[in-house]
Amino acid sequence: MMAALADSFLAAARGLPLTIAIWGAGVATGLVLGFLVAAIRFFAPLALSWPLAMAVEAVRGVPFLVQCFLLYFGGPFIGIDLSPIMAGWVALSVYGAAYFSEVFRAGFLSVPPGQLEAARMLGIPRHQAVLRIMLPMMALAVLPSLANLAVILIKETAILSIITVPELTFRVQGVGSATFAFAETTLVLALVYWALVEATAWASRHTERRIARALAA
Amino acid sequence: MTAPILSVRALERRVGDVEILRRIDLDVMPGEAIGVIGPSGSGKSSLLRCIAGLDAVSGGEVMVEGRRTQPGDGAVGMVFQHFNLWPHLTARENVALALRLVRKMPAAAAAEKAEAALARVGLAALGGRKPAALSGGQQQRVAIARTLAMEPRVLLFDEPTAALDPELTTEVLDVIRDLAAAGTTMLVVSHEMGFIARLSTRVVFLDHGVVVQAAPPAELFAAQAEPRVRSFLQTYLDRVAWARDA
Repeated sequence: MMAALADSFLAAARGLPLTIAIWGAGVATGLVLGFLVAAIRFFAPLALSWPLAMAVEAVRGVPFLVQCFLLYFGGPFIGIDLSPIMAGWVALSVYGAAYFSEVFRAGFLSVPPGQLEAARMLGIPRHQAVLRIMLPMMALAVLPSLANLAVILIKETAILSIITVPELTFRVQGVGSATFAFAETTLVLALVYWALVEATAWASRHTERRIARALAA
Repeated sequence: MTAPILSVRALERRVGDVEILRRIDLDVMPGEAIGVIGPSGSGKSSLLRCIAGLDAVSGGEVMVEGRRTQPGDGAVGMVFQHFNLWPHLTARENVALALRLVRKMPAAAAAEKAEAALARVGLAALGGRKPAALSGGQQQRVAIARTLAMEPRVLLFDEPTAALDPELTTEVLDVIRDLAAAGTTMLVVSHEMGFIARLSTRVVFLDHGVVVQAAPPAELFAAQAEPRVRSFLQTYLDRVAWARDA
């Protein structure tokens, strides 16, 4: 039993860097995509925003596991042939983007129209008003929700093991399959994810406070 | 005879089937202070927002010095009921932002001009504060300074004290009165009847989107023949009746 635990921790240590890397890349891409989607939905005409709204609904309405299957196993039929890690990064980015975009959209909507009317009356061009007034005003409102979503996405990376991304879950489950010590390996997996979530939650609160201070200063 | 600085011709605004403003005609001479009064929903704010160009008009036109106006062209400045300051910027930055982005002034010159505008509304010492660290009256004075700094030809005040506690209205009304005394052309929508009576060169009474009466305050507030104006003013007299009896 001790051997199984030790093997599990070793496997976890080997899988952890990829989990963190793919999560970081997915969150970064997801934030950029999500912001673009929200901005287009908010500012662009209906013809452009409507398909995006549908896409966001679709991504939010389908389990992440099914999306991974669709991309990894279905992709090759339409010429999208990705390695497991690439597929995992793309899937996580798209999934994250859908949720991030909803937060950004709520942020855009949270800026009172009066503040932008004041800018308009003073002759401040629209793009400058968005950049100098709207974005700083919404940043404080969206930060906590974005950080919270990013932390939640850590747990979703476990699903990437199904499409053979050699991350944390994949590695530790490998030990389980080889030793049949499923209880021990799963316990280790749970502990490692929990620790990871606590660490990132702490880090995100810290960053959030620093950004809030910088914006409020 | 000088030409009007602002002229409103047959101005109409409809939203669906509702007529908000019905063929409003108004000429404002340079240096005039026009008080706009009337019951809630009579179209006072809509009139200001149409003059500003913030609300679309269904007919007629608004000209400042003979030119059709657009929001942001510098002809008209607007002070809003809820100040609409930008909360992430200091008072000075609120005033300086448009100077930098629109007038293309260097940062130092813009800050200097912002300080001068803040001094004009009695806030010389508070330029470094964020709106959240200012009282409502101070916030509204920053908003006035922000508009003044861009030197519009006509100033519009849309219920500038309606969002303020009563004891904070005086400082804002004093600033507006000083501006009027200095010859600023303005239209002021307000429910502060005493203030409107003392400030205005003419008072416009609106009801259901129509100018019922436009007259110097001495005439409009005097014993009224026009029943709608009389019943409107009576509600204000009733409200201060306790003070007169005392």
